[in-house]
Amino acid sequence: MIDFTLSKAQQAARDYAHQVALEEMRPLSLECDRTEEIPESFFWNMQRRYWGGAAAQARAYGQDEGVRQENLLSVISQEEMAWGDAALATAIPGPGLAAPPILSQGTPEQQARFLSIYMDGQLHWGALALTEPGIGSDVAGMSTTAVLDGDEWVINGHKHYITNGARADLIVTFATIDKSLGREGIRPFVVPKGTPGLIVGRIEKKMGLRASQTAELIFDNCRIPKENLLAGRGERKAGFKAAMGTLDATRPMVGALAVGIARAAYEAACEWLREELPAGYPPHKRRAWEEELKELGQEIEMARFLVWRAAWMADRRIPNSKEASMSKAYAGALVMKATATAVRITAPGEESERKLLIQKWFRDAKVFDIFEGTAQIQRLVIARRLFPNIDIP
Amino acid sequence: MLDFAPTEEQEEIRKLAQSIALDHLRPHARKAETERDSPNELRLTLAQTGLTTPFPEEYGGSGPLEAVTYSLIAEELAYGDPGLALNIVGSLMGPLTVWLAGSREQQERYLPPFGNSTSGYLQRGSLAFAERTGGYTLADIHLQARRTSDGYLLNGTKRDVVHGQHADLRVVLARLAEHESESAEGKLCAFVLSDAQEGLSIQAEEEKLGLQAAPSATYLFNQVQLPAEALLGEAGSSGVVRAATLYQILRAAIACGTARAAFEYCSAYARERIAFGRPIVSYQGIAFIIAEMAMKLDAARLLTWRAACSWDRGEADETLIYEAECAQRQAVKMAQAATTDAIQVMGGAGFMQDHPAEMWMRDAAAME
Repeated sequence: MIDFTLSKAQQAARDYAHQVALEEMRPLSLECDRTEEIPESFFWNMQRRYWGGAAAQARAYGQDEGVRQENLLSVISQEEMAWGDAALATAIPGPGLAAPPILSQGTPEQQARFLSIYMDGQLHWGALALTEPGIGSDVAGMSTTAVLDGDEWVINGHKHYITNGARADLIVTFATIDKSLGREGIRPFVVPKGTPGLIVGRIEKKMGLRASQTAELIFDNCRIPKENLLAGRGERKAGFKAAMGTLDATRPMVGALAVGIARAAYEAACEWLREELPAGYPPHKRRAWEEELKELGQEIEMARFLVWRAAWMADRRIPNSKEASMSKAYAGALVMKATATAVRITAPGEESERKLLIQKWFRDAKVFDIFEGTAQIQRLVIARRLFPNIDIP
Repeated sequence: MLDFAPTEEQEEIRKLAQSIALDHLRPHARKAETERDSPNELRLTLAQTGLTTPFPEEYGGSGPLEAVTYSLIAEELAYGDPGLALNIVGSLMGPLTVWLAGSREQQERYLPPFGNSTSGYLQRGSLAFAERTGGYTLADIHLQARRTSDGYLLNGTKRDVVHGQHADLRVVLARLAEHESESAEGKLCAFVLSDAQEGLSIQAEEEKLGLQAAPSATYLFNQVQLPAEALLGEAGSSGVVRAATLYQILRAAIACGTARAAFEYCSAYARERIAFGRPIVSYQGIAFIIAEMAMKLDAARLLTWRAACSWDRGEADETLIYEAECAQRQAVKMAQAATTDAIQVMGGAGFMQDHPAEMWMRDAAAME
């Protein structure tokens, strides 16, 4: 039955994440953006809070409710976290983007082996290495190679734009086992931190999300055990499916992050109009801004619903490529509109923390129209799903 | 708990509405546009399915209305033809407002003719919402009602009243000014108008841009005196808010159906039409327009469903007012963009009356 009310677990997840965003993230936001560093204490606080208190409560409710809802709980939390600070949200300890391919492509033994390290209460991260200097959305052109040599895979190649790449304990790396197979030759490998031949290159300087670590990784005859290949060698398309399956799960989460930033900017602009309007500000202009914000508020709700729907489908195991792309494309465009509107509205105001945050969100926003597939790629995915029998190159 | 799937029962009703839309609405759309009304046979067919009698069984209806279910129905009908869908929904809003806002006595007086199994389908209701000074938001309702010794005095305008010129039951939304002060916005209320009312001028809107299949009228109220019993229920009651927001939600659903019709039609065209040796949809310039349409249609439909869910749960008036207005505003805006883009996808063919796209673009524009 169609229902837009949050269950107990969903409400608990939202409340909890909001509290964390308010108490742990907002106070650090501007400083971390300026220094491009995150204090160690933040990681420990997040680690402690994640495993205790309200989050555990939310998970318990979730189990009580007897339906799969981890994707929904995740997007609900992500929106709140990004409302706090999207860069800090990407740095929260945990397997992060490494989890979806391990869960979808790993054997039970591999899942236990790789994910158990995240349960010891220490600080651990995971990363996903897909993008290369020569390829982004076109994963079939991947040039990183994996060659089986006895009991080991030997990986050679160059990956970049890897979130948490330098601090990750496990890096799920996509590489081709046979270039002539195109995308069907692509396989996911788990590369542990400290493996000889895994070299951390430069840390990127970015327009926004500056506190988020974006690393370059070089694989120079990097040898990993044979058992670190996710999915068997015989399974054709498995690797590509893992890459794409990961995107179907992560695109709604990126959408949720975008919604969170958009909402933060929208709220700040509304507050500015209420509280900081300079004396002599023309009333007709204020009314025009209020109209524009009203519209924006409605668009934020639509973006959120698209995100929720895509996550809900993932939980129900309903194929959701099209809907995941819709949520990402819509939210990606919206967050730019929302932050740009907030910048324009507050432009005449004095410099204030609120204005600095709005400027930061404006810088953070642009990448949401790019990573996990650009706006154009999302439209391509949607169009190909709408017209399965037509070749849309 | 969040859930985005209709129930099995709703899915069956939706399919029924869709088959009627495809068999009885779409093929008659142009004729209805020319004749400026729905044919009696269509109304009989709909009445027989129970889709157009969503009032309680005690008044001859097929069971009380749920907004989510009815949003699904309204979308399907509009997918058949937006004008005919509005014709049907506009008519329903008359008796539905009596059911939602009226007293028991008023329900017993006005509803049975609509539920009558042999003649009910011939009855036409109407609900006057929009005015000459605004659109489909509650804040734009200013028709002024003042209490007099033996009833109410009405002054103001209404426009776009579907079936206003010939309705068997005319309901109007107004504001009841409790005090003499001109500035205070009165409580939202609904009145039933009787046929010949001194001071009331009803003018059919002949030259409409679109939605011609839903005939409409303008009302001009000049010191119109209504008896006390013309007020449905109590002024400022939730019932009136529920009636008004239901109309907004169903208009949003009609806008979604309009957009879906245009989206599917231009998709089929783009699949078949060959240019430079390939179907035009294989070009990203066309494919992206259609992808965008699909995405924004889904977004607006979710907003509409959200408002409908709140309506069914009986949320507070302020919530309903906000959510229904969001849905109506975004869905209509989306439908206007989708129908316009559908013509663009079809190129010159889209501009021709051989295809319905040009009609849908005019229909969507006429929803303001």
